[in-house]
Amino acid sequence: MSIKSYSRARAVHAMLVYTGGCNGCDIEIVNTVLSPKFDIEQYKIFLTWNPREADVLIVTGPVTKHNEKPLKEIYDAIPEPKAVIAAGACALMGGVYKNIHGDIPSEEIAGPVEEVIPVDAKVPGCAVRPQDVLAGAVAALPKLLGAK
Amino acid sequence: MDKNDKAKRQEVIETEVTMGTVHPAALEPYRVRLFVEDEIVRDAEITVGLNHRGIERIMEGLPVEKANSLTEKICGICSNSHIWNSVMVAEKGLEIEIPERASYIRIIMGELERLHSHLLYLAHGNEVLGHETFAMRLFFIRETVMELLRMIGGNRVQYGCSIIGGVRPRCELDLMRIQKLNEGMDIIEEKIGQFADRFVSDPIVMSRITGVGVLTKKDALRLAATGPTLRSTGVDMDLRRDMEIYDPFDFDIITQQDGDVKANLLMRVLEIPESIKIIRQAVKNIPSGPITDRSWEMQDTGIIKSYIEVPRGKLLHSYALEEGRVRGSIVRTPSITNIAAMQHACIGNHISDAQLAIVQCDPCFTCTDRAIKITKIEI
Repeated sequence: MSIKSYSRARAVHAMLVYTGGCNGCDIEIVNTVLSPKFDIEQYKIFLTWNPREADVLIVTGPVTKHNEKPLKEIYDAIPEPKAVIAAGACALMGGVYKNIHGDIPSEEIAGPVEEVIPVDAKVPGCAVRPQDVLAGAVAALPKLLGAK
Repeated sequence: MDKNDKAKRQEVIETEVTMGTVHPAALEPYRVRLFVEDEIVRDAEITVGLNHRGIERIMEGLPVEKANSLTEKICGICSNSHIWNSVMVAEKGLEIEIPERASYIRIIMGELERLHSHLLYLAHGNEVLGHETFAMRLFFIRETVMELLRMIGGNRVQYGCSIIGGVRPRCELDLMRIQKLNEGMDIIEEKIGQFADRFVSDPIVMSRITGVGVLTKKDALRLAATGPTLRSTGVDMDLRRDMEIYDPFDFDIITQQDGDVKANLLMRVLEIPESIKIIRQAVKNIPSGPITDRSWEMQDTGIIKSYIEVPRGKLLHSYALEEGRVRGSIVRTPSITNIAAMQHACIGNHISDAQLAIVQCDPCFTCTDRAIKITKIEI
């Protein structure tokens, strides 16, 4: 293990981007970080709001048309190596907002996160449970640490 | 020095500071433009509409049961309030009288939701203040409420408790659940008391929030602010007093006079014990009997409106029923007028307080963004 990945493993910064879901996943993820019960900081994962500091991008919500461009810009602003976690049913497959019409897609939704930016780890659930967010964040770490 | 100052003022007539669309203090995407002069906000403009999913249009033509469970997905904080009110519209139209036990369970869920919403607001407010220790303590208290909600509803965020004619069978309150509710209320009451003592006696926090983001009574009424935002300016208005379902309960309606961030935060701190009082009464006096009335028949109705008091204010749901399907659905959430009021409240503050002034009304942008875009269809 190089000294770079050794130090990176001890300070992983995650950024949360919310792209138009119902707020439920969002609060559960903030809960994961801030609540002493779950406490994601014990795995050395910290919440940041600056894309240039971030290593992991957590995306919730079914990317609405208005949020497509900001999401791409945020993704481009994160330095390599980076990992993306899509959290919640909406981020994985559009949720109720995209698929309720059956075959007719909704005009308002630009698609699940996968169609906008590449996704590395997926966390299912409506809304996601904090335990699953922990597992998803830990699952995305090898990609960051494997890079030289 | 004076000359220099004057020259600068003439040069910089209007500076614009833009925050958003993704900003740490808000979590949700929205855009705020602050027009600044000498670091004092002179005008503000909040843009909503980035979360637009067109949920009212998705509801159009769906079976009423499906549409009801879809309203829950409007908001992840007050999800129970949305499904409760949406179900009440159908019950009003079809003239269904729900069993008394079901209405008690609905009130318990509603008040638990008010508890977790207020605790989240306090935690978020303290985080924006920069006091992360308080935020963590409040999240720890909130976890007790979330566990109770998960125990009754089966999920931490989307409970799906109310259905037309009562509540779902899985939300039945048995003895074990009632005991856990009582234990939970004891824990929350004790901890929120400790928090309130520390919060009020902390001079640094108090000096930071006193007199910031003042919304006068006149402005609040003019801009149609609702809920705790209106009550914090001294207007004694709470729809819970007018709702028949709340008649058997004894509780006080809290008002504050100042209309600033301090009044708003204290409102929530003082409303939490009132919610605990209602839950204790409901648990104590809960009548026995069935929880669902399934002896109703579907029929066509006109447009029915229903208002209830939710954690943030007054919520309207309205739709007509046609062959068991929803037509012309309208949802009006309290945040839309509260956000407009906040646009006014951050004028005159220092630019570093602007975000705090906006957050003081507990804005929920997911609730707000539902306007429908109508385009012409060529036939």
